[in-house]
Amino acid sequence: MQPIDANTEGPAAPALGVLERTRRNARFIVEMVKVHPKLFAVAVSGAAVFALLTVASSFAIGRVIDRVILPRFDEDGVATSTVFTELGLVIGIGVLRAVAIVIRRSFASITMWRVAQTFTNRVVQRYVVQPVSWHNRRADGDLVQRAGVDAEATVSVLAPIPFASGTIVMLVASTVWMLLIDVPLGLVAVVVFPLVLSTNVVYEKSVSKHFTRAQDQLGEFSAGVHESFEGVQLVKSYGAEERETERLAGLADRVRGSRVQAVRLRSWFEALLDVIPSLTNILLVVIGALRVRSGDVTIGEFSSVIFLFTLLVFPLRLIGYTLSELPRSMAAWQRIRVVLDEPIEPDPAERIGVAADGLGVEFLGVSFAHEGDGPSTVKDVDLAVQRGSVTALVGPTGSGKSTLAQLAAGLIGPRSGEVRLAPGARSIVFQEAFLSSGTVRDNVELGTSYSDDEIWDALGQAAATEFVQRLPQQLDTVVGERGVSLSGGQRQRLALARALVRRPSLLVLDDTTSALDPGTEALILDRLRARLGGSTVLMVASRPSTIALADDVVFVADGRIAAHGTHDQLLATTSEYRELVEAFESDRDRNTDLPVDLARGPVGS
Amino acid sequence: MSLDPTLAAKVGTLTPPSQDSAVRTIGRGLETAPILRQGLGVTWLFAAAGAAGRVVVPILIQQAIDRGIVDGQGGMEVRMDVIVQMALLGAVAVIVSGWAFRQASLRLGERSERALHDLRVRLIGHIHQLSLADHNDERRGGLVARVTSDIETLARFFQWGGLAWLVDGTLMVIVAGVMLAYDWVLALVAFAVAIPLLFVLRAVQSRLLVAYDRARANNGQSLGAIAELVSGGPTVRAYGAGETMAQQVEESVEITAASQIRAALIGAFLFPSGEVFSAFTVSAVVGVGVWRGPESGLTAGALVGFVFLTYRFLEPIAEFTEVLDTTQMAVAGLRRVLSVLDMPIGPPQPDNPIPLPVGKLQIDIREVTFAYRSRSDGEADAAVLKNIDVTIPPGQQVAMVGATGSGKTTLGRLIARLADPTFGEIDLGGVPLRRVDRSELRTRLIVVSQEPFLFDDTVAANIAFADERADQRDVERVVDDLGVRDWIDTLPHGLATSVGERGDQLSAGERQLVALLRAGLADPDILILDEATSSVDALTEVRIARALERLAASRTTIAIAHRLSTAARADRVLVLDHGRLVQDGHHDDLIAQDGPYRTLYDAWVSATTV
Repeated sequence: MQPIDANTEGPAAPALGVLERTRRNARFIVEMVKVHPKLFAVAVSGAAVFALLTVASSFAIGRVIDRVILPRFDEDGVATSTVFTELGLVIGIGVLRAVAIVIRRSFASITMWRVAQTFTNRVVQRYVVQPVSWHNRRADGDLVQRAGVDAEATVSVLAPIPFASGTIVMLVASTVWMLLIDVPLGLVAVVVFPLVLSTNVVYEKSVSKHFTRAQDQLGEFSAGVHESFEGVQLVKSYGAEERETERLAGLADRVRGSRVQAVRLRSWFEALLDVIPSLTNILLVVIGALRVRSGDVTIGEFSSVIFLFTLLVFPLRLIGYTLSELPRSMAAWQRIRVVLDEPIEPDPAERIGVAADGLGVEFLGVSFAHEGDGPSTVKDVDLAVQRGSVTALVGPTGSGKSTLAQLAAGLIGPRSGEVRLAPGARSIVFQEAFLSSGTVRDNVELGTSYSDDEIWDALGQAAATEFVQRLPQQLDTVVGERGVSLSGGQRQRLALARALVRRPSLLVLDDTTSALDPGTEALILDRLRARLGGSTVLMVASRPSTIALADDVVFVADGRIAAHGTHDQLLATTSEYRELVEAFESDRDRNTDLPVDLARGPVGS
Repeated sequence: MSLDPTLAAKVGTLTPPSQDSAVRTIGRGLETAPILRQGLGVTWLFAAAGAAGRVVVPILIQQAIDRGIVDGQGGMEVRMDVIVQMALLGAVAVIVSGWAFRQASLRLGERSERALHDLRVRLIGHIHQLSLADHNDERRGGLVARVTSDIETLARFFQWGGLAWLVDGTLMVIVAGVMLAYDWVLALVAFAVAIPLLFVLRAVQSRLLVAYDRARANNGQSLGAIAELVSGGPTVRAYGAGETMAQQVEESVEITAASQIRAALIGAFLFPSGEVFSAFTVSAVVGVGVWRGPESGLTAGALVGFVFLTYRFLEPIAEFTEVLDTTQMAVAGLRRVLSVLDMPIGPPQPDNPIPLPVGKLQIDIREVTFAYRSRSDGEADAAVLKNIDVTIPPGQQVAMVGATGSGKTTLGRLIARLADPTFGEIDLGGVPLRRVDRSELRTRLIVVSQEPFLFDDTVAANIAFADERADQRDVERVVDDLGVRDWIDTLPHGLATSVGERGDQLSAGERQLVALLRAGLADPDILILDEATSSVDALTEVRIARALERLAASRTTIAIAHRLSTAARADRVLVLDHGRLVQDGHHDDLIAQDGPYRTLYDAWVSATTV
């Protein structure tokens, strides 16, 4: 397994110029937005309206002070109608602002989740079309993360973007408006806005560095805890509880260390971000008083500038947050892109030819390598298997017998040479039975439809009738992770039924029957012979009972076919085969688990 | 989105493990992590001083309007000296309070991180000591989550919510105090209009939490569906079921997106409600203030100051509701953490241990019955072992056979005291196991699992796990003693070869070899071997047999046998069936009898002949 990571141009690559980085970020955002541009446009409009209304609300407060409060207290009084008009304006703007927030937040979230959904579906679609050879080179967990967690992390920056862009509108509008009221007051804003903004950016960057490290360390800690709990029996067997706790405490302490560093930095910045606006406000009071004295501004105007400034503190902080989120989202996006940008590999099943008359499986000079340029694990194999025969693939661990089985099933394609099969359906059953979390019926059908009779018939051939009949809802019983849990042998029999219901002309068993006891194994093979007629069975065999059931044996060693014939022929002619079988025989049940139920004896005996 | 509402409610509800109230849970949390309480008063004082900084500006504006800008002859007179003086005073107050705020958040941050670290370590220690009965596969994920994600909910609370609780509450009190001092009538008006906001927010909040829970549950299902599609890759491809599976994933992703959007829409109404209330409260305050006029003693400055103070008063309410979410999750997390600490630890260490006699040890199993406790309510499952009564003399080689679920593995665990019998007693060398010191037991008796666990480390480190005092020489010696030098030499870096996660760089047989070497290093008197079922290539098989033979020599050996050949070689075979000991004797004798062992043997012979 190699993780796919072509992510050499990391998002935080320091060598990149600011301009280039900005361009890349912009491209990234455009890429996301163009999935649902209308939804996003509504969100941004809501944010822009909100921004303008925020400026307007401070304007309204200024008017209330100048036209209502001061006349009432310092002069002769104020008309009731003026009071209602001005307060109505405050309430009206407040309500409109709230509406704008609702629109902005709703649509920003809808955009975000819909884009995430689109990305997840696109990635999953890729997983479905890429062949097994592509999957074999990748770790399952990694693929799941790309489709799920990464898609979510990618779009997480999308939600605050409308607000951030609204904030920029707000800053521009506020600066213009303040400059219109009074140039000296406006100049303070011109100086302080960038100051607060850059403090924020520096803050988010320096703190997020520590938090990111803490997050990585937390990951290591979690992995350590998981490992330790998984091996708890070992830990207990050797009385190593204290030692293990101490080791994990060390890992936990690193998380703590990084977090405390972040907290130290953060406590300074948080205080600074509290103090700078307050000091600015105090400065504004002094300058404002001077301007009131010279008659350039009214008390209402002067108050509304301060009021506006108070309203701006929070939005300013959010911009810093958005910027700090960008690298994380970008990294996740790169991981998704790798999957989406990879070319779709051709389906090896399409390259399978038609075998000569009387043959079930035909290999012509077939070679295979897991890596494109790596060493071959199957080397120049020629093989002809009679139609309707049962053939066992036997060989030491790592000899390439499973690879041959997968080549025959058309799951992987040869590097050179050709695989030819008799026409008809193919079924393969693996050593580990895969069950989806659906009903017994879903699992047997797996994407196709069959009648109940056909399903029961297949279950019968797979020796699964009895236990399925005992399930609470029989065919409609939910099995797998969220349902009834089945034993290894039962799962294997369902997987076999899935293979048989398709009436395959070629049945490939990749060490399938090792989870079954030998009795059941023999029973199933007998039924197969009786029913399958012209079907060919190719099975990887790793224990004597399986070999005993085959007509022919193909002995595989080091990626080549060392011998092909009946068991007795091979015993007589091939010394390596003899040694392998003798190793089995010297302890012939080495690989044999006991039958499921002692009291009832082995199934089928 | 069409979801059965009752089903959705079920998915959305978290069932807390204990019914403790939030207050009691927090109280117990503070007891468990006393460092949090230390100096909390001082931290709070700093937080209060920090919060006080936020009322400086409104007061300054009031003062400026009332005292700095006064009516003079023929117009307005601005007294700059007063204003500058007050501004300086304000600036000092702001800086001091900023510093105090910094102290508060630093103190809280450092202490909480230390407390969480301690809690993690305590939890790990406790979990390691839980009985193996509490460590079944279904529970493992949950136990890991207690130490990681549940503690993280607490960490998030301390990072974002803890300070808010300290500061916001104080801030509201301070602002309310200043308001009351300016004009109590107006203050009451402001409170009367603003307080309903709390209830509105609370109502939205609780719906939001339910929606979040549901979204989280749906998200988990989507991830499960994706994982299924990925892990079933070869099968899905082989049967051309890709489109069907992708369709299922898409449906579940759609449900997830819909529930996430629903939660987001509820959230979209949470924040702006504060906005609406501010507008109404400000208008109400100004309206009433203007109506009462200067006759009531109110000044213009105070009224303008009120406008600012109103916003300052409402801010913390909005922040509170955001924090409540984190707080509720943290309390739920804490509750789960405490519930693990409440679980009784596994076989407890005896108060007055009795030393084991020197020399070989006899094992007496007396009327032992055992039931696992897998339910969270502590109710026992059906018994796995029923009335087992047997004596194993020193030096005997015993094989226990039986089907999966017959109880043979459990009996092995009880002899190793990885769990205590529910009823009955096991004696070792005449000493009840419950009275044997744990560390002494671990040097005299070792369990070797043949599907062993390996740490992601080197081969040498995995062997040396048996004994923390072991050095390279000891490891080399045991490699020679068990005759596996030839295998070690085939490894790319010899003993320094990394085994990978769970040992996946080694074959199943090689992992067994490491486990045997580990046991060899421990050099116990009694060896309990849990045999493997997985297939092993012939050469490794030979090496395992050789190592095993040398390891078992001169020790009492109890093999939990999956292979009848092991039973055939043993001095004595114990046959278990559904938790009962049904046959006991030598392989040859048992075959001569018409019993379960014979049935088993016949089936095996006919099935395994080529």
